[in-house]
Amino acid sequence: MKAAMKTRKKNRNNAAYLFVLPFIIVFLIFSVYPVVRTLYLSFTTYKGYGTPTFNGIANYTRVLKDKFFWRSLYNTVKMWSLNIVLQLGLAFLLTIVFSDIKYKLRGLGIFRAVYYLPNLIAATSVAFLFKTLLDWKYGTFNQILLATHLVDQQINWMGQRSTAWAVIGVIQAWMWFGNSFIILMAGVQGIPTDYFEAAAIDGAGRWKVFGSITLPLLRPILLYVAVTSLIGGLQLFDLPFLMTGPSTAGEPGGTLQTTVMYLYKFGFETHQVGFAAAIAYTLFFIILFVSIMEFKFIGGKED
Amino acid sequence: MNYKKVIATLLAGVMTLSLAACGSDGSANTAADTAADTTDNTAATETAEATEAPAEDTNTEKVGSGEKLVIWTLAKDLQTFAEHYVETHDAEIETVVIEPADYVTKVQTALNGGQTTPDIIVGEPQMLEDFYEAGYFEDLNAAPYNAQDYAGQIVDYVWKVGQDADGIQRAISYQITPAGIYYRRDIATEVFGTDDPDEIGKLFADYDTILDTAQKLKDAGYRIFASDAEINYFSGDSAWVVNDTLNVDQARLDYMDLVVKLYQDDLTAYANQWSTPWYQAMAGEVPILTAAVQSYADDSINVWDAEGFAEATKDLDKTEVFAFGLPSWGVLTMRDNVGDNAGKWGVCSGPSYGFGGGTFIGISALSEHKDLAWDFLKWVTLDEETSEWWIEKSQGDTVSLVSVLDKHKDDANDIYGGEHLYSFWLKQAEGIDYSKVTRYDKIIGDAWGAAITAIKTGEADKETAINEFYDVVESTYPEITVNR
Repeated sequence: MKAAMKTRKKNRNNAAYLFVLPFIIVFLIFSVYPVVRTLYLSFTTYKGYGTPTFNGIANYTRVLKDKFFWRSLYNTVKMWSLNIVLQLGLAFLLTIVFSDIKYKLRGLGIFRAVYYLPNLIAATSVAFLFKTLLDWKYGTFNQILLATHLVDQQINWMGQRSTAWAVIGVIQAWMWFGNSFIILMAGVQGIPTDYFEAAAIDGAGRWKVFGSITLPLLRPILLYVAVTSLIGGLQLFDLPFLMTGPSTAGEPGGTLQTTVMYLYKFGFETHQVGFAAAIAYTLFFIILFVSIMEFKFIGGKED
Repeated sequence: MNYKKVIATLLAGVMTLSLAACGSDGSANTAADTAADTTDNTAATETAEATEAPAEDTNTEKVGSGEKLVIWTLAKDLQTFAEHYVETHDAEIETVVIEPADYVTKVQTALNGGQTTPDIIVGEPQMLEDFYEAGYFEDLNAAPYNAQDYAGQIVDYVWKVGQDADGIQRAISYQITPAGIYYRRDIATEVFGTDDPDEIGKLFADYDTILDTAQKLKDAGYRIFASDAEINYFSGDSAWVVNDTLNVDQARLDYMDLVVKLYQDDLTAYANQWSTPWYQAMAGEVPILTAAVQSYADDSINVWDAEGFAEATKDLDKTEVFAFGLPSWGVLTMRDNVGDNAGKWGVCSGPSYGFGGGTFIGISALSEHKDLAWDFLKWVTLDEETSEWWIEKSQGDTVSLVSVLDKHKDDANDIYGGEHLYSFWLKQAEGIDYSKVTRYDKIIGDAWGAAITAIKTGEADKETAINEFYDVVESTYPEITVNR
């Protein structure tokens, strides 16, 4: 009896493996293999043809000594920082407004959809849209500024160092604040309303409620948003590349050259694939390190 | 609860990796994409890329019927050749035009993956060295091709560009691309009293003379060039890299000074090369965009809005532009853009010999239709009738077949004031020193251009800009020694 049950159980497991097999195969070929292969290539000299020749950690020491790599990382972090501040700031503000039991705002579903819309537009379209809106000479944005006499000359948004990086940061925030808002909102709705009611009865003000109830209970959600945003943000490529490239990618003055754009230069323009792979892994370890730090500081102590 | 932390950290790691691997966040290129695109034996990836490519971002055309030949090329020229070829030959030709920025990667992916198509691949001069080294091109000196038998039939420098480091013929081009100065005869007569190409050539003999010429034209209300990059094809006296050492010769530094002076002394119309106002300057009056409004963003000029452009620049001074520095294929660029100024142009020599671009055709080492590919290659490059037809069809491209160039050397070109253009280009081609071309030229040239831009716009002083240039070269190519 016991033996028969054991066999049946075993069979059931095998069938399950069969169901997940397609995923496993695709995952192995398109995710695991490239990741492992990239790691291998990062220890070699490889031009994209011929046989890769092993060169130890030379690529990694070159990455660490390369001032342009660090400059590209600085550029990326700068754009991401502005983005995350705006994105989370806006998402928080909206969360406070929509979750306040005193306001009882209607139509949350519609707002949620509207705010999320920018996230559904392909980066290519977003880049083209903003390139047109922010065009130096005829862009709608400059025309509005001129018409309302806020400025007396067109601003060359994408052409000068002082504004170009901020433009990218703001567009990124616009694309992602809806996403953060939805996640934060879901987090807030997960907090039992008893807490808010109790706080209201005890006479707590809006900020007191936010600081003592909402924020601490949102911490895991916040951590999730911060980590995913960091992972995406440090891999920034599409928007700055599409808005400046391909022949002048990273202009003005290299201020929009992100780390992945730098990787692209070596992988696809100068065909130093081994070095590009080392850049990829260095970036991976940097992201991993910063993610751990985020867990430590935002995640705080668990009981 | 420590295990939770461990699990959370691991999850973050996996998440980072999987985001990087799938690129599912929309990032066009991530760590793993690089690997996927460049690995040499991920059959699945390569097949996917190869089959998708023509439909997505390339231009494919199929003509004829019979044995099938697949060509991957950079410009539409070969499509026109293919259409003509199948009229008299029993073959089906599929010509795929691929963006230059993607071309090298696509060829590498296909050939590293052992794909038997394309049968014919092409390359521009700066791509060829890597292609030769990778062994992508068939040895054309071997039987049955015996290309060395045709050595004297093609213009010398073109023949040599098609050879690898061991002198083995790998590719041949149907065109020559020596550079010249295209100038307005009417303005020349008005300002300098002559429109003779030899006399006007003297006005471009060296950089100092060019600055004098520029000043005279400015005083007469014209501008010598639309952009300050017109002398680029003639810059530098030696290769960028000699014996694995960066070589910045005096001519490079002089060229830098020339561009800075042209810019800072308001001697050009401040259009960026290949931008809309630059093309417009071929047809007539253009606004002088002035140093104050000139910037990187000039390239983003809205090409769909001619009215908007006119409106935005209506208060600026207008000028007409005297000259453009372009290779022989500039004849076609001019043809499409001069408008009412057609017939007013002449061509003279620049301060040195130079050339730009050119499509070199070879047979893929993995092709299964090598005989047909060789027949097509021979027909495109070494057939007199084809060359004659191409001259007619392209309305003025300069072929590489010496016998045809000789035959046409006394042809007077009415569009260029009766000039003997073919003999002019042939003479320019004879002066070209191909040993100056290296695989590093594009990146180093771009970095040098960035240094010049930083100086001319006052962003950096000369020393800082040149040091930054050295840094870029050092970091991009550690194998090159940089002596500061």
